[in-house]
Amino acid sequence: MVKLFIESLKLSIKNEIEYKASFIMNSISQFFVFFTYYFTIVALFNKFNNIKGFNVYEILLCFSIIQFGFAFNETFFRGIDRFEDLVIDGSLDRFLVRPRGILFQTMCQKMHLIKIFRLLQAIIILVIALIKLNISWSITKVIVLLLMLISSTLIFFGIFVLTASYCFITVQGLEVKNLFTDGGKHMAQYPISIYKKGIVFVFTFIIPYAFINYYPLLFFIGRTNNILYMLSPLMVFVFLIPCLLSFKIGLKHYTGAGS
Amino acid sequence: MRSYLNYFKLSLITNLQYRAAALAGITTQIFFGLVYVMVYLALYESNKGVNAPMDMQNLITYLWLGQAFFAMTFPFSKNIELTNMIKNGNLAYELVRPQNFYFKFYIKFLASRYVSTMLRFLPIIVLAFVLPHPYKMAMPYSLGNFIVFLLALFLSSLLVISLALLMHIVAMFTIDASGIQSMYMVVAELFMGSIVPLPFLPKILITIGNFLPFRFMSDFPYRVYSNDIPLKEGLPLLLLSLAWVIITILIGLLLSKKALKKAVIQGG
Amino acid sequence: MSYITVDGISKTFKVAKRNSGLRAALKSFFNKEYTYIDAVKNVSFTIEKGEIVGYIGPNGAGKSTTIKMLCGILLPTAGNIKVNNMNPFTDRKKYVSNIGVVFGQRSQLAWDIPAEDTFDLLRDIYNIEENEYQKTKEELINLLDLKDVIKKPVRSLSLGQRMRCEIVASLLHNPKILFLDEPTIGLDAKSKKIVRDFILKINKEKKVTIMLTTHDMTDIDKLAKRIILIGKGQILYDGSLSDLKQKYGSYKKITLITKDTIKDIKVKGLISKKKIDGGYSFIIDSNVLTISKFINNLSTKYSIIDIDVDNENIDDVVLKLYQDYEI
Repeated sequence: MVKLFIESLKLSIKNEIEYKASFIMNSISQFFVFFTYYFTIVALFNKFNNIKGFNVYEILLCFSIIQFGFAFNETFFRGIDRFEDLVIDGSLDRFLVRPRGILFQTMCQKMHLIKIFRLLQAIIILVIALIKLNISWSITKVIVLLLMLISSTLIFFGIFVLTASYCFITVQGLEVKNLFTDGGKHMAQYPISIYKKGIVFVFTFIIPYAFINYYPLLFFIGRTNNILYMLSPLMVFVFLIPCLLSFKIGLKHYTGAGS
Repeated sequence: MRSYLNYFKLSLITNLQYRAAALAGITTQIFFGLVYVMVYLALYESNKGVNAPMDMQNLITYLWLGQAFFAMTFPFSKNIELTNMIKNGNLAYELVRPQNFYFKFYIKFLASRYVSTMLRFLPIIVLAFVLPHPYKMAMPYSLGNFIVFLLALFLSSLLVISLALLMHIVAMFTIDASGIQSMYMVVAELFMGSIVPLPFLPKILITIGNFLPFRFMSDFPYRVYSNDIPLKEGLPLLLLSLAWVIITILIGLLLSKKALKKAVIQGG
Repeated sequence: MSYITVDGISKTFKVAKRNSGLRAALKSFFNKEYTYIDAVKNVSFTIEKGEIVGYIGPNGAGKSTTIKMLCGILLPTAGNIKVNNMNPFTDRKKYVSNIGVVFGQRSQLAWDIPAEDTFDLLRDIYNIEENEYQKTKEELINLLDLKDVIKKPVRSLSLGQRMRCEIVASLLHNPKILFLDEPTIGLDAKSKKIVRDFILKINKEKKVTIMLTTHDMTDIDKLAKRIILIGKGQILYDGSLSDLKQKYGSYKKITLITKDTIKDIKVKGLISKKKIDGGYSFIIDSNVLTISKFINNLSTKYSIIDIDVDNENIDDVVLKLYQDYEI
């Protein structure tokens, strides 16, 4: 499995660097795209000094964790991110006549090398935030940080799988996917407590962003010592179950209904 | 003229087929609106003593207008027809057509933006008005402000299109247009005030922004609506906005002529 | 028990209704209507191991839908498929290791890099053992004359070269059954010949069972002993190609070169008359009306410069079949 994934990555990279000049221009623009996200936060905190008691570096930490997970999926699992393309161009039919899992083949389908710059930038901002934040480091802090990064990756994986399941049924109105990916990402770059109850409820119990970068964040920056806060990122596994299930159901629908 | 008008009808028919897209667009815009409003409300509540660059009610109105007219003002999206035409080198054929190449696509772009905006903006505006305070959007400051807002919004749509079309024309001169196009998006989004309203930017960037056309794409109309930019300043800015529209159209027209000539000489 | 058994399969699609015009568009914006289309209706056939079957029919007849069901991509709305004692749908992973599929209009090769890189990836996807992989690849490449081609980026290949690479990609895992969906579409004469020879060869030497769809009747003539004709989702003819030819083989095409104007002739056995450049072309059923009688008849009334008698080719036969069944 791993060997096949790596082999697929190699193929994608070869494919992408065929056009060198384009690759370089795109890398630069990717950097700028990301920079504006970062810039927005810094600009706002130039005028204001906190948001519901969180300072700029705590916000940046929160932000970089979400960006990391999102960029990781965009970079390495491009096929899931752009699943509608696979449905439209018939690659999905091709996957179905191969002796491998459909989801796995989708993950292998394409690596979007250019997005690796976003991943790198998320890491850079994370490091900046960590340096400025005066964290009293301990082994549990390291674990919780890792848990946050992993669960952030998994939650976006889950959301991408969920929207991919939707593509099995129709590729119309797919814009709604932005609500969960881009919208979720935008929302979750701030600690969830700044929002009103309705939104907090949705993003705690339906799409559990709060367990990714809010509760564990409180633990990480020392606002609580409750061990449950530290372990809350594990909730993401509960979230993954319906996502994977819906992919299975969607696939059944696709082969049942056809297009 | 008639053939140009037909593009509006065609675009309407095409867009009506994608009702799920319209619905999804409306939901997404409402969600984004709510999130933005909540973030700013939280910021204002947490910094009561601080002198904020914009009045809170004006800011919230600004945010809702931005969502309602998002389909009209987002700076760039790739037009498949034109992009493919440029890629395949079928441009030369455009010379034998009776319509002007530049204006044909100008109208096409404009039509598709207007139609998708028409299908989306009303529910968002209505919702923004019926929401409780402090989420609620405000009425225009005065009738005069509203008229200037409408004119500014119209000029904004022209400017958005002439710049977006310009970014497509650039692709006729380089194969690496996608890099330039995404750069353009970043710069435009920053200086049009779609990431944060311009008053929230550092002074130096505000100064730079004043010399660029982008602020007329959303910052100016949305702020003149609530008199955040006073009516007195609004009128000259309206003229400046018009000037930018004319300049960018002229540049686009000129470049497209040049590009077509080039296409003919190279034989496609 | 046959190798492939298709038992009464049907497939129904739900499609949104769409009329032209602004009014219709507005109407469907608020209230969408759907219709159901039977792409395939109660289709049954069996195929024995080692057969080559040509699956033909006009566009939209249901060919691709049937192939997709046989490949396990689509589940039939009704009916059963058994291939080599497996259900393509429920035993998907096990089943697809045994089949190869070429979709003539779609590519599975990465566009910007050499085909060989895609082959290597397929080796890992199908878990092919390295020695065996090299051996099979070598063999396929020689047979399809692709030695240098596989080192070049796919985007720089000709259509024919690309199609041959597609075929290699579909056969690397040594499938026992091969589904070819329009394998010669758009190819030049040389590539067509290479592909046809190749298909015959793997069928003969490796006993690969082959089912192909095509619009090119020469493909059928050269490759398939048996054809299945489908129209409007139903099987119209299933039998040997030679039977079909015999049935319609008594049809002869007679071309006359003459300067005279030939008026309408009423005679039993004349199927059609067509004005062509410098003369006329007739099709007659030679079982009813002998060629000599027909020509004698004409030569007494008109001055004939030249005569040419031809057997109907398979294209015309099939066209006539389509006409007979009104599809």
